[in-house]
Amino acid sequence: MPEPVVSLRGVTKRYGRFTALDAVDLDVPAGEIFALLGPNGAGKTTLIGIVAGIVRASQGRAAVLGRDVVADYRFTRRAVGLVPQEINFDPFFTVEETLRIQAGYFGVRLPEARLAEILRALDLEEKRHANTRALSGGMKRRLLIGKALVHEPRVLFLDEPTAGVDVQLRQSLWAYVRVLRERGTTIVLTTHYLEEAEELADRVAVIDHGRILLVEQKDRLMERYAGKTLRVSLGAPLAELPPSLAALGARLEEGGLVVAVSAPPGTSFGPALAALAAAGLPVRDVETQRMRLEDVFVSLLERGAGRAA
Amino acid sequence: MIGLGTRTLFVKEVRRFLRVPGQTLLSPLVTTTLYFLVFGYSLGPRLREVDGLPYARYIVPGLVVLGVVTNAYLNSASSLFVMKLQGTIVDLLISPLSYGEILGAFIAAAVTRGMIVGGITWLVAGVFTSFHVAHPIAALALLVLAAVGFAGLGFMTAVWAGSFEQVNFFPTFVITPLTFLGGVFYSASMLPPTLRAFTLANPVYYLVDALRWTMLGASGAGPLPGLLVTAGLAVATLAGAYAMLSSGWKLRG
Repeated sequence: MPEPVVSLRGVTKRYGRFTALDAVDLDVPAGEIFALLGPNGAGKTTLIGIVAGIVRASQGRAAVLGRDVVADYRFTRRAVGLVPQEINFDPFFTVEETLRIQAGYFGVRLPEARLAEILRALDLEEKRHANTRALSGGMKRRLLIGKALVHEPRVLFLDEPTAGVDVQLRQSLWAYVRVLRERGTTIVLTTHYLEEAEELADRVAVIDHGRILLVEQKDRLMERYAGKTLRVSLGAPLAELPPSLAALGARLEEGGLVVAVSAPPGTSFGPALAALAAAGLPVRDVETQRMRLEDVFVSLLERGAGRAA
Repeated sequence: MIGLGTRTLFVKEVRRFLRVPGQTLLSPLVTTTLYFLVFGYSLGPRLREVDGLPYARYIVPGLVVLGVVTNAYLNSASSLFVMKLQGTIVDLLISPLSYGEILGAFIAAAVTRGMIVGGITWLVAGVFTSFHVAHPIAALALLVLAAVGFAGLGFMTAVWAGSFEQVNFFPTFVITPLTFLGGVFYSASMLPPTLRAFTLANPVYYLVDALRWTMLGASGAGPLPGLLVTAGLAVATLAGAYAMLSSGWKLRG
């Protein structure tokens, strides 16, 4: 694994009796898009907040580029950009003023070329002199991304960046996130849209009840956990499965018109196909479906819950 | 050397109140003018002199104090509270600005607004009375100190407050009563002993009295008690505001 940009060791956060993060160890490698997945209340935003400086850890140490986020906050905060989950805006200022003010907080005078680039990338050029109050919800969210980028952070945290954003804009934001990654920015993403993580992420961490359940390269995760399903459409409905197929775990779906067989990762459909051929069923179409990240995610959470029970 | 981040926050805060001049600057102008029309211009000639000063002149320092401290308080209180409400406080919390820099910028902007309003009040008063100031540097220093003290109080209130009602608690129930009962419109020597004791227990009385000395050259207690009380308030509220900000209470999770 490359040198971690963000590193957490034994990070715990308690709110009274509630433990939001429970002794979390995590390394985010440089130059990757890292997706932090978990249900509501899993601890994703708390984890990001600790690294960005909004939340104080009860125990443990969080570091950015090897520097402690509390003791060396001036350094680490200059290295971090945060797009918060909640939209915020100051109605006293225009888009341009908002970006210049945010850059100023980080001790940066925003050069015209950089300002123009951010406005262009986020499709806000025409709104440069508009008051932030006049922006649509999607534009306000893009402005948040712009604010997080003004000081050219090494690592960008995107907390549910496309919540409530239309499909077209989501695609353009994904494209921009990839551009940022290509330029060397490390991206840490939390999202409810698992297709977003599946589309973008190089590496995935699954978090639930404040604990990291796993950290894995997305492709390896899919290989390891994502089984396949063979779906055979029949020319005529079948009342009952032949015993040879039933013995392989096959099931009838869609009123007997489809025979479905699931195979765990690393196993083949050879025996099922042989049984189908031997049974002489009237096959009309054959397709295989790979489990999606969403299915893997649900299955991991169920296993996690099973262990906790 | 003041860093770019602190200067940015200060300029932003000043621009914020300049964007709504009707609320932040014009409103005090109207209020002050009304005070002088009613108390100074209409009633003043019928009232006898107070502590050897014409009544219209006598009330000027108190009204300047009222304008300065109320606006210094309101600027830091409303600005920080609105940032909490809007969620834009996150922009500051994730920035590399230190607690001292954040507090310094907020206080400086609040003092700026307080002094502008105090200046407007003084100019309006000058039209009705006189522009003469006996000790201008001392007057300026005392007012800046008072503005710092009340800006610190406003900052503390904003950190604590959960609603606008709580933000308005201090100006409505503390600052205005203390100022009005702090010898703005009367001298403590005019009061019966019980009320005089109440007035002498009011710290704002000493501030108004000291400012009266710096502006008009005469006062009941002289400049020192007011200077000490005001400096004490400034130190206490700055320390309190810094402690609250650095504790993260109600700001950081």
